[in-house]
Amino acid sequence: MSTANHPVKKEKSRLFDETGKRLLREIKPLWGWILLSALLCLVLIGCAVAAPELLGGLVDRLYAWVKAPGPGLAKSLLPGLGLLLGIYALQGAVTYGNSYLLNNVVSRYFCAELRIRLSAKLCRLPVSYVDKTPAGDVIDRMMEDVGNMADSIYGIVEILLTGFLQMLVIAVILFLTDWRMAIPVVLLSPLSVLLSAKMATLGEKHWDKHFNLGGELTALAEEAYTNYPTTKAFNREAALQEKYDELSMRHQRNGIFGNFLSAIVQPVIVFVDALAYIAVAVLGGWLIVHRNLPIGTVVTVIFFARQLSAPLERIAFGLSFVQHVKSAAKRVFTLLDLPEEHDPSGTVQAPIRGRVEFRHVDFSYDPDKPLIRDLSMDVRPGQKVAIVGPTGAGKTTIVNLLMRFYDIQKGQILIDGRDISQLSRAETRRLFAMVLQDTWLFKGTVAENVCYGSPEATRAQIEEACDCAYCDHFIRRLPQGYDTVISEDSTAVSSGQKQLLTIARALLADRSLLILDEATSNVDTRTELLIQKAMDRLMGGRTCFVIAHRLSTIVDADVILVIRDGQIVEQGRHRDLLAQKGFYYELFTSQYQI
Amino acid sequence: MRKLLVYLKPYRGRIALATLLMAVSAICNLLLPTLMSNVLDQGVYGAQEANTFGFILKTAGWMLGISALSLASVAGGYWVVYHVISGYTWSLRSALFRKVHTMTLAEVGRIGASNLVTRSTHDVGTLNWVISMLCGSIITIPLMFLGGVFLCMRKDFRLSLVIVCVVPLLLAAVLLMSKRIDKLWEISDEYCDKQNDLVRERLRGIRVIRAFDRELLAHGRITDATRVMADNIIRANVRMAIIDPMAAFVLNTAALVIVYLGGVRMERGSGLTPGDVFAMIQYINIILGAIVSVSFAIVMLPHVRVAARRLSQVTESTGLEDDRPARDLHFDGTIDLEGVGFTYPGSALPALSELNLHIGAGEWVSVIGGTGSGKSTLAELLLAFRDPTAGTLRFGVADAHAGPWDRMQDAAELSPKDVRANVSCALQKSMLYAGTVAENLRMAKPDATDGELWQALEHAQIADFLRQKPEGLNFKLEPAATNISGGQKQRLAIARALLKDAPIYLFDDSFSALDFITEARVRRAINERLAGRTRIVITQRVVSAMHSDRIFVLSDGALVGAGTHAELLERCAIYREIYTSQTGGGAA
Repeated sequence: MSTANHPVKKEKSRLFDETGKRLLREIKPLWGWILLSALLCLVLIGCAVAAPELLGGLVDRLYAWVKAPGPGLAKSLLPGLGLLLGIYALQGAVTYGNSYLLNNVVSRYFCAELRIRLSAKLCRLPVSYVDKTPAGDVIDRMMEDVGNMADSIYGIVEILLTGFLQMLVIAVILFLTDWRMAIPVVLLSPLSVLLSAKMATLGEKHWDKHFNLGGELTALAEEAYTNYPTTKAFNREAALQEKYDELSMRHQRNGIFGNFLSAIVQPVIVFVDALAYIAVAVLGGWLIVHRNLPIGTVVTVIFFARQLSAPLERIAFGLSFVQHVKSAAKRVFTLLDLPEEHDPSGTVQAPIRGRVEFRHVDFSYDPDKPLIRDLSMDVRPGQKVAIVGPTGAGKTTIVNLLMRFYDIQKGQILIDGRDISQLSRAETRRLFAMVLQDTWLFKGTVAENVCYGSPEATRAQIEEACDCAYCDHFIRRLPQGYDTVISEDSTAVSSGQKQLLTIARALLADRSLLILDEATSNVDTRTELLIQKAMDRLMGGRTCFVIAHRLSTIVDADVILVIRDGQIVEQGRHRDLLAQKGFYYELFTSQYQI
Repeated sequence: MRKLLVYLKPYRGRIALATLLMAVSAICNLLLPTLMSNVLDQGVYGAQEANTFGFILKTAGWMLGISALSLASVAGGYWVVYHVISGYTWSLRSALFRKVHTMTLAEVGRIGASNLVTRSTHDVGTLNWVISMLCGSIITIPLMFLGGVFLCMRKDFRLSLVIVCVVPLLLAAVLLMSKRIDKLWEISDEYCDKQNDLVRERLRGIRVIRAFDRELLAHGRITDATRVMADNIIRANVRMAIIDPMAAFVLNTAALVIVYLGGVRMERGSGLTPGDVFAMIQYINIILGAIVSVSFAIVMLPHVRVAARRLSQVTESTGLEDDRPARDLHFDGTIDLEGVGFTYPGSALPALSELNLHIGAGEWVSVIGGTGSGKSTLAELLLAFRDPTAGTLRFGVADAHAGPWDRMQDAAELSPKDVRANVSCALQKSMLYAGTVAENLRMAKPDATDGELWQALEHAQIADFLRQKPEGLNFKLEPAATNISGGQKQRLAIARALLKDAPIYLFDDSFSALDFITEARVRRAINERLAGRTRIVITQRVVSAMHSDRIFVLSDGALVGAGTHAELLERCAIYREIYTSQTGGGAA
């Protein structure tokens, strides 16, 4: 994807725009839990208010003792200390309980549920979406973006509940304790938040650049390491090193500013806090001397002042991630709202004979570039259709249309006289078995993979199909035989063997029509012969469509469709097409030219 | 780990400066509560004196100055620290990159390109991030702790023992817990990867899944994995959530103990003032803040260990290529293989065995065979990526530089740079670089004119495609050239190989994505352009091989046939088998 190179346009949006409202709707089922969490937060605020008050009172008692010494000082402190211990214990327990609650709500009831909904959505999206969208993008939305959205719940709890409430309560108590000292504290604390927010935005620019350059750096490293043989073969190591070092240097330079600004946010808050602290000290000292203010009051104010910066930091923090929560949410909602495939519910009458007709079919992937125009053909039961043409000419388009991975735009495709657009997609697909060049196996045992299309097959049937497809002998040599776990990139089976397994899968599914994509490469000669034999066996008696790479297939096909630049330019039998001396003739003879 | 710290050496002076600045700031922060307690005590004891308020003002002035100094020094400290860290990260990255390009192909393959990418990006990044997070606290926390204890001791020795005992215990508890959490994170990361793999697998297999109507099964697998992942994330998060409340409770309790003991000691008349007790509570608050702010960085420590271990795998790798300097030799195009064999380390069977080939200067030969026949290994031998494990591979050297030695020189005695300067290649995976087409081509010949580039593109049958683009030669390729098709990639790689002026040209399976018409045109152009140069075409397509001067047939690493197409059809059963299977037999 190239988006890494283009800085994402920042939208200055209000907190509750369309996405914000949608987000609130989405978390509706969780409101009960969030309210419970709010209650717990109230308890915490209570503790946060009570503790400094009590502690201030105790210190006051120490000062009182200095003025009027007497016995039993330590003992007189005990009840207050006990109460405080209880409050601290309660505070700890509730803090822990609240994060336990929120974690469960967020991970189990929000993220997991949203991911499951996205997964269900994938079932109903058209193949065209998956073809157009890089897998990494979908995965990003499902994992990364949903994870970021979870922050919105923490955000709501932090901003709306804990932050504002706590701040309000503390400000009120400060004024009640001593309004004169409360003024500088209440005025200075927001200043620290403002300053830190200002620095965060300042740093953001550098961070953005740093991240973008980081993406470029990763891409460069990836390219260099995968292209290692070519770099070496052209003796270009030094030039590449220079390029990498230069990019890495720019990457780091931007990092310095970003890091520096983030790092000094906290010291700046500490400094502003210290200003409040000094103001309280001066004012308090003056009040003690001239107005006989009890020292405990000053101490209490100081303890509260310390507590005030915490909710402010929280609010600043909460607001700062609203923006990225929303951009993540937008991406997730876009995926959730994508139009789904229309699916009629028609069914087919058994038995299927296997006649396939195309009547004046028009199709294109891109409305600007017409691809298939007015294609008509009539394939009788048991016939073999070969699709040939240069690489990238669009041979797989026919497969896409037959399997209804894509819908035709005009005309009709009929199977046994029935228009397939009237059938449900699953019903249409159930007519076909398909072996593609891109051998897809899922992570599971060999047996599970082979019976993918026919889950109710018995072990004996699986083994029989594998035997027919020349797989049995190598499967038995695998460490756990049919129960060996294999996957897409497993090295236990070769790519040729994977191809054979997909043939066994198609054989077991036993469908009336067949779509084959012949393998071209990465198979050794002997396996290739086996694959060919297995495919021949599979084709026996079925109507089949073969994307042909082998001349043997082409030569004895009943119909050859010659595709060039996505269009069917010629169709007919081998001999007739050669006689036409057209594109097919050129294609066929070119391989024998020096 | 220690080896990675070597890169910090040039920064010793600046690290010392940063430490000093951080220390100044830490000490300033520690002085504040003491000054504050002086104000409070003065308020009590000196209430009667006339200049009390003056004293308070003076102390407040000191506090202001100290706060400003603290801010300035901490800002300066961070400024220096981040310059050091970024310089360190840069040199680490640079060194890793350099190191990879001195390793052998086998070593790069063993570690794996994607792992190497993770090392130079993610692992270095983790190291950088954690150092950035910790650098301030590594310096200030011990200072805060020691300074806090020292000041407490000055106030009251016995009371300070409370802090001396509690803080190390707490730190130990946090560390211990982080170790456990680390394991939980590892597990939840694993499930996260699993989930990623499942989605990726499903998207890749969408056609098969839909063809067999198994969307529900795929959905079910993802649903299960999602739930398991959520459970594991919760377990790790919940465990981590213990740290903060625990630290707060322990330190707050310590504060209570201090108040109580303070009361007791005041009663006994130890000279302790309420201001001292107050200051100590403030110290505890400072320490608490410090611990809470590093607790999550401490949790990262095991990640640093993992990252460092993985990095040293690369920095300490011993699989290095022969680095003898190039002698700027010119080959004459002859290649001799005498009993050449190659066995991959750890493999029982040889990939190539007893290969005897003589390729004359200017000859056009093809090597044909299926997967596992050893033909790619042969290409790697010819490019000096690997040395034969048996027999000798010799290149003919043409010029006077070669000195008094034999004309035929053993590849093992030559610098790999010399071999590669004389063999121009287009490889199986046509590796192109993000950037313009011109940049990609000029890799082969940095001083090539535009005319030369167009000519090479013309011969590779890709010029028409580029002429249609408004940017022409400056058409930009995306990373991994995702904006052009496989066939176009191959043709650009061929053009690049053609542009380089060399006595030997090697095409390793580089026509596989071309259709027959295009391939025939490329073949014709190559043969005209490179007449008189040695051409080696490695392929599994019989069509690509059948017209060359001589064809070598490889099977299971052994040479099973050599000769022209006609000769082989007659003599070599395997060649005939390949021919029949690919062309349907005699269809010509």
